[in-house]
Amino acid sequence: MVIYSFYIFDRHTECIYSKLWLPPSAAAAAAPALAAPATPATANIASDDAKLIFGTVFSLRNMVRKLGGDDDAFISYRTGQYKLHYYETASSLRFVMLTDTTTLSMRSVLHQIYINLWVEYVVKNPLAPVEHRRGDGVKNELFELGLDQFVRGLM
Amino acid sequence: MTVFALIIINKAGGLIYNKTFHEAGLNKISTNDYLVLAGTFHGVHAITSRLNPVKNPANRASASAGGMLTRPDPPSGLEVLESENFRLQCFTTLTGVKFLLFTDTTQANVDQTIRRVYDMYSDYVMKNPFYQLEMPIRCDMYDRKLLSYIREINNR
Repeated sequence: MVIYSFYIFDRHTECIYSKLWLPPSAAAAAAPALAAPATPATANIASDDAKLIFGTVFSLRNMVRKLGGDDDAFISYRTGQYKLHYYETASSLRFVMLTDTTTLSMRSVLHQIYINLWVEYVVKNPLAPVEHRRGDGVKNELFELGLDQFVRGLM
Repeated sequence: MTVFALIIINKAGGLIYNKTFHEAGLNKISTNDYLVLAGTFHGVHAITSRLNPVKNPANRASASAGGMLTRPDPPSGLEVLESENFRLQCFTTLTGVKFLLFTDTTQANVDQTIRRVYDMYSDYVMKNPFYQLEMPIRCDMYDRKLLSYIREINNR
């Protein structure tokens, strides 16, 4: 099982957290590119990806709700190259994870990230703001460390 | 095991065929909504093929090592979508026509089913001299064959 990336979107459709885990081969290939100073262009590509992902899951979620009824929920989709997993909380916080194609359903994993990491370290943090403009309050050390450990434990 | 519905989308994103086989499976939506759905899916499909997290240089290296310069497979867009109530399989032909088959979540061998649906499309739609390309499919023969094939699966 390989996990490529993880995104959190808030109810204002903003990407408030994103993290990439590159597989060893891709990381080696990307190393020369990363060694070069991080230009605004690379940062733009990353944020463009987040926007595209949000657009995709938003459209697919609406499509699923229209066809399957209001109690239906979009779980995942798979292409020839990757698989995208989706989990939405009641407060319309959206968790998205990209993995390789052979991975089974990661819905419970996303749910655990929500319960054990998001609620514990972000919601229960008295200093965290209610809204996370530009990722404020999400990028705290405990959350990032916990997430990284949890995901590396799965791989 | 139930097949709920079939949708065929032409290469421009227009809905050209739409048939429901099992009434209880999916919500009833209007023809207009089906057209919107086809267009939306067409766009989303294009985005999903661009969102590839693995830029694989390994593939290219292996191709050139074989002595043959082969073009790597173009990234495929969405193939299977899963939700709590249904499963959507998408098959894209080389000419860009999309076959969308809605089934229940436990349906097996959907790729074979969709392949057979495509075979029937080429036999009874493409070989019909009165069919105009990219236009809605109105071929009795196709309707009949498709219905009997899907009924066979649904009653299995």
